[in-house]
Amino acid sequence: MGVIEAVGERRVRNLRYVAERRGFLAALLISPAVLFIGLLVGVPFALAVYLSFTDATAGSLTGKWVGVQNFTSELHDPIFRGALWHTFLFTVISQAVVIVLAGLLAHALVRSFRGRWLLRFVILLPWAAPIALTAIGFLWFYDPQASIFTWILERVHLASAANPPNWLGTPRAAMSSIITVQAWRTIPFATVIFIAGISSIPQEVDDAAAMDGATGLRKLWYVSLPLQLPIALVAVLFGIVFTATDMVVPYILTNGGPFNSTQVLTTWAFQTGINAGNVGQGAAIALFMLPFLAAVVVGMLFFARRAEVT
Amino acid sequence: MSGAWRQKLFSYAVVVPLAAVIGFPFFWMAVTSLKPEFQVYDPTKVWSFHPTLASYGFLLHHTAYVRWIRNSCLVGLAVVAITLAVAMPAGYALARLAGRVGRTLGVAIFLTYLVPPTLLFLPLSRVIAQYLNLSDRLWSLIVVYPSFTIPFAIWLLMGFFKTIPQELEDAALMDGCSRFGALVRIVFPISIPGILTVIIFTFSLVLNEFVYAITFISSSTNRTLPVGVPTDLIRGDLFNWPGIMAAILIPSIPLALIYNAFLNRFIAGFTGGAFR
Amino acid sequence: MGEIRDGSPAGDRLTRRDFVKKAAAGAAAVGVAGAAAPFSFAGPLRFKGRWLKGDLSIIQWVHFVPAYDEWFDNTWCKQWGEKNDVQVNVEHINNTLLDTRAAAEVAAGKGHDLFMNLHPMASYEDQVINHAAIVQEIQAKVGKYGALGKASTYNPRTKKYFAVSDNYVPDPVVWRHDLWNAVGESPATWDHVAKAAPLLKKRGHPIGIGQSQELDSNMALMAFLMCFGGFVQDEHNRPSLFTKKTIEGVQFMANLYKNGEDSAIFGWNPASNNNYLYAGTASMILNAISATRTPEQLNLPFVDDLWIWPIPAGPHGRLGLEHVMGCYSIWKFAQNKANASKFLADLCINYKQATLASQLYNFPSFPGAFPFDAIRKVAAADPHKPHGKYTILTTIAEKYTHNIGYPGTTNAAMDEVFSKYLIPQMFARVSQGKMSAHDSVRDTNSVVKDIYAKWKKRGKI
Repeated sequence: MGVIEAVGERRVRNLRYVAERRGFLAALLISPAVLFIGLLVGVPFALAVYLSFTDATAGSLTGKWVGVQNFTSELHDPIFRGALWHTFLFTVISQAVVIVLAGLLAHALVRSFRGRWLLRFVILLPWAAPIALTAIGFLWFYDPQASIFTWILERVHLASAANPPNWLGTPRAAMSSIITVQAWRTIPFATVIFIAGISSIPQEVDDAAAMDGATGLRKLWYVSLPLQLPIALVAVLFGIVFTATDMVVPYILTNGGPFNSTQVLTTWAFQTGINAGNVGQGAAIALFMLPFLAAVVVGMLFFARRAEVT
Repeated sequence: MSGAWRQKLFSYAVVVPLAAVIGFPFFWMAVTSLKPEFQVYDPTKVWSFHPTLASYGFLLHHTAYVRWIRNSCLVGLAVVAITLAVAMPAGYALARLAGRVGRTLGVAIFLTYLVPPTLLFLPLSRVIAQYLNLSDRLWSLIVVYPSFTIPFAIWLLMGFFKTIPQELEDAALMDGCSRFGALVRIVFPISIPGILTVIIFTFSLVLNEFVYAITFISSSTNRTLPVGVPTDLIRGDLFNWPGIMAAILIPSIPLALIYNAFLNRFIAGFTGGAFR
Repeated sequence: MGEIRDGSPAGDRLTRRDFVKKAAAGAAAVGVAGAAAPFSFAGPLRFKGRWLKGDLSIIQWVHFVPAYDEWFDNTWCKQWGEKNDVQVNVEHINNTLLDTRAAAEVAAGKGHDLFMNLHPMASYEDQVINHAAIVQEIQAKVGKYGALGKASTYNPRTKKYFAVSDNYVPDPVVWRHDLWNAVGESPATWDHVAKAAPLLKKRGHPIGIGQSQELDSNMALMAFLMCFGGFVQDEHNRPSLFTKKTIEGVQFMANLYKNGEDSAIFGWNPASNNNYLYAGTASMILNAISATRTPEQLNLPFVDDLWIWPIPAGPHGRLGLEHVMGCYSIWKFAQNKANASKFLADLCINYKQATLASQLYNFPSFPGAFPFDAIRKVAAADPHKPHGKYTILTTIAEKYTHNIGYPGTTNAAMDEVFSKYLIPQMFARVSQGKMSAHDSVRDTNSVVKDIYAKWKKRGKI
């Protein structure tokens, strides 16, 4: 073997050694993802932050620097403050409903029983259907003239034909309606993840619990719930984040009405930034949630890590 | 025995009413889709009417509906492919290799979802139009959508990879495999259920997306499903309700069937594939 | 099965869509027959059948009348393209999505050459060219820009035409003559409406003027307010909302709601007031003639009792707004500005055909293109009962239609007030008893003042 070949071989061995090193390999594997997200989320996000400090209008991506004026003027605006509160209500209530119902469904669906396949199919439907279209569908279900829910309520005498419920027209009813639709569309997603969580509990734990006499609710509280927590928590987190940042349901059903009583931050940001042409202010509104949501996410994940039982 | 019977009762008592409530809108969608259009508002015709398939016919023959479904499927599959290609290595790296940094990065994944697309679409339209020159082409969506499917896919796959015991890989390594070889030959085949799960979740995220689809795509033939339907079936003040209902049902039912079929494998995967 | 509706043979049921298509084609034929030949241009189409050199891309709304889009896409654009050697591509999207697309095109710096919106895009002034030359060209051929069009698309501060309006849609009240007759009233003034409303409501036929966050409510309530002397801005484009007259108007509407309307009006979208009427419930709505054309096509039982009148008069007079206004703008970054300018000019000059194709939905913003008397004659020929009912549209267009922001001009601040639905909100809070009229007007006015201050700082007012 000549000197040159020897050096060449050594170089190849070095390369392979480097590739074997954990850190390098990890970085290599993660980099495409980081690149993608950095370019398509990070850069526009930075631009949006910049915009929120300017008076950019009408789709323009540049503007005059105005400091925190967009943020302070929004804080003085009662509609914005209302939107903050509505976003909180919308997110918390809809996701609370989702957690309870999806949890129940998941526990009921892990065991096999006759008809489970069909019932699972039905439960998956709201998730399979595109939300932009089902939201329009709900416009029909809540239609002031021809709502099928009103029809049913009238038949069971829970509502009168003279004074039918105004699903989208009074503040309380409209808020309930959008919360209902948001819960409806999220339940299948959460159920699936909860099922995964339950299924991930090793059989040995189940057996051990049974041997120790832990059954039913006790088992749920002391054994099942803590073990499911990591996965369940992430489902909850994603639900919260998706709901807080999604505008489709309130936008299509109520467009923020009646008189802004269902205005959430995303729809208000859209109306301000796009419909009214006030891009800088719209950016400020949309970014407002960010620190709070980030705090919620980090807090919950920290809590999850502490409670992790593996 | 009575314990199992009680469990079954619990299952039925919970699932049947909830499924009825959750599924009722779809039932009503089906009924409405079969009504003649001018009778939808007639209060005397709520249930007694001559069902007709006219709306389905209109959808399939007089609009570009089939085209929109095709576009959505194309975009969905392409995005799934890209997402898998990028998220699998990243998920593996975060699950196994990255240690503390990995956990922090795992948290960072959630943070990418905190920025609403209601805001991001403006700067992104400049990127798409000027720098990538992809206006009005499905490729613009294929490029942009992974930005919100990849983080979730990474989280999912991280979870899966964590349930695969380290011993399997170590055994392979001791047998002389390179780490990369162990990855390809041992880990990935076991994580097929995880991959299936990513496919389902990614596809559903793509199908639900609306804001980018409306901003990047112009012409009617390039539209995806969520954009084409409101445009062609809502004409000023006229909502073509039977048509809209039919448009929702046609893709939802097959998709729900497919998701249902994958669900078993997905659950099987979560219980740890290696020892089953 | 006893499903036969009056006046139609059983087994002859067509779908609504077929009806709309057939009726529209028929009406277009009638209308066009009253005009000249069915061709857009006299003279040969020089480039017919050849590959066209130039390009032009247009985006506009999906017109309520399908026949208009068919005429526009397949007749007008095609023949214009063949005459001018330009390949014209038209895209249609929902009117609600036009704002989103406009913002995206500006952000991208790339988009359609001609952008049409249903309201003048005053806030986009800096992104579009000055359309003065186009306006001069049209005026040279058909006469002056109508006052309504000019006030909607011209910024007196910057002396710039930020759009050219090709058409506007008059906004009448559509009311059920049979129901009103039964209570011995007619909607000549708002006082009459207030008097009739409780009687009508008792019979199950309330009034239907929306107070929701949508276009129809915006237009109706702003127009109503004007009849009472309440204006968002004065003739110098300064906010002027907080006046006694505004408060009185808001209170009047709140009382009207309490006595004569249904709480459904708070949760409406633009189609809802139409459907309220089609279901036979509403005794009166404020809407463009889509509210009469659809019943004609569906052959609803009360179609002959649907009358069209101008907006009822209030203490300050009879003032209305246009229902929507078509405005075309050309982006500064458009790539085919010359083609776009010529297209726009030709369209406005030949607008008679467009008006006819839209079944008199679109009225030309340059009235010379199709003078009011000529329109009146075509309207008089409309076969629907009561005969001649559409002629009132011309009167409404001539006398009772003003621009958004009257007595000032339409500007970015007014646009923002409009887009944020501040006026419907102002009314709805009072009608639902959440606030007194005085407080609601005062609060809304302070928001309005902030908006105006902001745009003034940007030099647009």
